[in-house]
Amino acid sequence: MSLLRDLALGARFALAGGREGWTRTLLTAVGVGLGVALLLGTTALPGALNARNARDNARNDYGASVDGGPAADTLLIGRVDTQFQGSDVRGRLVQPEGPEAPLPPGVSALPAPGTMAASPALRDLLASSEGELLRERLPYKVVSTIADKGLMGPHELAYYAGSDLLKQRKEVVNDRAEVLRVKAFVNPAPQQKIDPVLALLIVIIFVVLLMPVGVFIAAAVRFGGDRRDRRLAALRLAGADRRMTRWMAAGEALAGAVVGVVVGALFFVIGRQYVGDISIAGLNVFPADLDPSPLLAVGVALAVPASAVAVTLFAMRSVVVEPLGVVRTSVPRRRRMWWRVLPPLAGLALLTPLMGRGRDRGTFNQVQVIGGTVLLLIGVTALLPWLVEAVVRRLGGGPVGWQLAVRRLQLTSGSAARMVNGIAVAVAGAIALQMLFGAVEGDYVKSSGEDTSRAQLFVPLGDSTPDQQVRDLGALKSVSGVTGAAVLGSLEAGEKAKEPQHFIPVTVGTCADLGQAAALPSCKDGDTFIATGGAWEPELATPPGSTIYLDPATGGSATRGTAVRWTVPPTTRKAASRPDPMGQRRPGLMVTPGALPRGAKLPIHSTAFVSTAPGDKLAKERVLNAAAKADPLTSARSLSDLQTSARFAGVRKGLYIGAAAVLMLIGASLLVSMLEQLRERKKLLSALVAFGTRRTTLSWSVLWQTAVPVALGLALAAVVGLALGSVLLRMVGRSVTIDWVPAVSMVGIGAGVVLIVTALSLPPLWRLMRPEGLRTE
Amino acid sequence: MTPAGSLLVAQDLHKSYGPTPALDGAGFSIHPGEVVAVMGPSGSGKSTLLHCLAGIVTPDSGTIRYDGRELSAMSDAERSALRRTEFGFVFQFGQLVPELTCVENVALPLRLTGVKRKEAERRSLEWMERLEVADLGHKRPGEVSGGQGQRVAVARSLVTQPRVVFADEPTGALDSLNGERVMQLLTEAARSTNAAVVLVTHEARVAAYSDREIVVRDGKSRDMMLEHSV
Repeated sequence: MSLLRDLALGARFALAGGREGWTRTLLTAVGVGLGVALLLGTTALPGALNARNARDNARNDYGASVDGGPAADTLLIGRVDTQFQGSDVRGRLVQPEGPEAPLPPGVSALPAPGTMAASPALRDLLASSEGELLRERLPYKVVSTIADKGLMGPHELAYYAGSDLLKQRKEVVNDRAEVLRVKAFVNPAPQQKIDPVLALLIVIIFVVLLMPVGVFIAAAVRFGGDRRDRRLAALRLAGADRRMTRWMAAGEALAGAVVGVVVGALFFVIGRQYVGDISIAGLNVFPADLDPSPLLAVGVALAVPASAVAVTLFAMRSVVVEPLGVVRTSVPRRRRMWWRVLPPLAGLALLTPLMGRGRDRGTFNQVQVIGGTVLLLIGVTALLPWLVEAVVRRLGGGPVGWQLAVRRLQLTSGSAARMVNGIAVAVAGAIALQMLFGAVEGDYVKSSGEDTSRAQLFVPLGDSTPDQQVRDLGALKSVSGVTGAAVLGSLEAGEKAKEPQHFIPVTVGTCADLGQAAALPSCKDGDTFIATGGAWEPELATPPGSTIYLDPATGGSATRGTAVRWTVPPTTRKAASRPDPMGQRRPGLMVTPGALPRGAKLPIHSTAFVSTAPGDKLAKERVLNAAAKADPLTSARSLSDLQTSARFAGVRKGLYIGAAAVLMLIGASLLVSMLEQLRERKKLLSALVAFGTRRTTLSWSVLWQTAVPVALGLALAAVVGLALGSVLLRMVGRSVTIDWVPAVSMVGIGAGVVLIVTALSLPPLWRLMRPEGLRTE
Repeated sequence: MTPAGSLLVAQDLHKSYGPTPALDGAGFSIHPGEVVAVMGPSGSGKSTLLHCLAGIVTPDSGTIRYDGRELSAMSDAERSALRRTEFGFVFQFGQLVPELTCVENVALPLRLTGVKRKEAERRSLEWMERLEVADLGHKRPGEVSGGQGQRVAVARSLVTQPRVVFADEPTGALDSLNGERVMQLLTEAARSTNAAVVLVTHEARVAAYSDREIVVRDGKSRDMMLEHSV
């Protein structure tokens, strides 16, 4: 009972302790509140991402495609996704085949031909001057807005446009346009199971991001500790014993933490309103989706005040509060190292059995991974005070600024280390994660094979008549900013006119254009080549002089090919296949137009590889507009060198968002601690100025006072980070290679945060150095 | 009030903090080697007068001349240099830097003027010896008593051999015995170097160590010696 009474008394000091008490409680509450808001955000993030995926699944049309003919409840859908200025635009043309055709989620009525339902972001973009070029590509009148439940996020660009072309295109044989028939929007495919390495990455990210938040909260509950100790000394005079003062201090911290939880919940609720306005690397979520699970939220609300009490009781162990207001600031007892190495060693012991497991031997035991990582990172916070003390004890000499800083560090190395703990843990974790990301990136980010140095866009020229293709190509080439276009056609040939058993692909193009797909020895119109080294071996051998049928009839009487008989010219030569601009090594015959039977109306699928002027950033948009104008169902798109696994990209985006938030939080924490320290020393600073101390001397002292523990903290973080990274690499079965660039850049970012904080603390320092600080003397 | 041979002279000083006037036409003068007590009740403006005389605070109007030079004509850097080299300070609570040892605290003003550490500490120890605190050299301020700390502060104020020492309630936080000893040592040491001492106090017992008293009330000053002679 007496413990509770002391706790309550402490809480009363925090809440009714006058201006000073309130200032301290407010500082603690804001610090804890920032941490709590971040914790709530983190606990809500998985739910928000799940909700995002659920919305995407609910509108999925690809997996919902049905066989069979038109019916009263079928809807035709043409997929017309595109990109505008680097942003994805999800597009669907829709044509109902009966009165009961299903409605896509978020759409109240199917748009009539020439009109569309657009997402709010797309509607705004089209209405703005920036969307002028996109308006040409999507010449539909916006008649309705897609509701939130039909969108992945508030910034998504998406539309459903009415069309009367789809029925006709669905019936065309060999039409490359993607027209689907659906009865409902649902994805019957089972949820993809997450890869164990990716799961490991996610677990580590959570640990690495949440640990500094925990460290930060622990530091926040100790804001203004010096003043509190003085107040407690006065209570000792009034008869309180040491145990009582410890529990009163814990009560004060508890009150600050409870107010902090409330403030954090407020920060979270207010911040959530603006979440819809934020888009990081294309990822954005609806505020309503950012809903922390009640269990986790209650966990945060209970754990934070409980940790505040525990941290304060632990910290008060080494504070000797004596009566008469005297808290002797003698040199503290030297720190011992032996127990400080135990947590990291225990962490290594937990992680070592997981080494060499790789991705093929099942999932990693999450408790073991979290436990091991947490213990290793706790090692940073345990070892840092010892390291700072051990190093600064040996420092001395130097100019006055340096001497002031070193002496202060020698006296209060613990609080200096505490200030840096958060950033050191974040940097150690980030180095380990960067190592892991770097090592497994190759598994998730692959070269697409597309060669953007030869062409920037891929434009199918449709399957209309050759004359139309020539006109379409002419239109493309006349687009402003287009510097060239190579066209490769393709069709198939068989050994028989009807239902052949074996096929060979035939690529058609001018000599110059065929050069994009094969290294031709020499070439003139009328030449023919047989490609060697293609991506696969054709079933049909076509030695020179053999007879084959171009576009043979297949699939029964319903689908008939032109089946043009053709003799492979005796002059046919071999040519080594090379990747075309899309990265495909085409096998089979390579034929110039002059070698094809004269007058044959062959259905050749032609693809234009379009090059644009490097400096003309809008040229690509104009080409895509021209392609959409020629065929609203075009699958024209920009080429890209890299192909990234969507899930991996999502995890990496999550890391960037989290790391940015944590670094901001730690920066804010450092600044508050620094200001707090300066406020404590206001009178002393004024006295130093009185006897002529220069501003620069004190500024240097503040800088050294921060720089020394930060340098030590970052060095320790680098060692622990590299150790954790190496263990993680061994866990996923990779050899350990240290990539110094991410390690150095992480350390650099950490140092940068500290420098910014120091720079921000200089103006208040100068303000505190004004002689007015002596007025109360 | 401009007696000939004065080292520091102030005339018609006015200073307000917001709407509250702290000085309202105050004057002051001091000769080399002289100890002048500035007395007055709390809030009378005596500390403000000291801060103005030391060039820490700039008065709203009036003139302060130190050794023939006008303080208001000096830049902030020049006034700081003056405080480093020509003035010394003692405050009520010593205001020693808690993380520095006592000898380092005493050496600090010398270090600020560019004296090497060893030399600064050697000279500091000499002063500490004179003030009977040489054995505390390697202790931190938190480890010594209030009286000892104040003597260290006096040593710090004299180590640069200043021409003027400003002491603001130097015994305010001490018991009478310690206060007397500090005053004795301060005035003896100052006289031995011919330093002038501006002593702000509200205690007559402390003022008794001075050669002359100036009373400040409602921002106005009265030189008691002049009045007595009249």
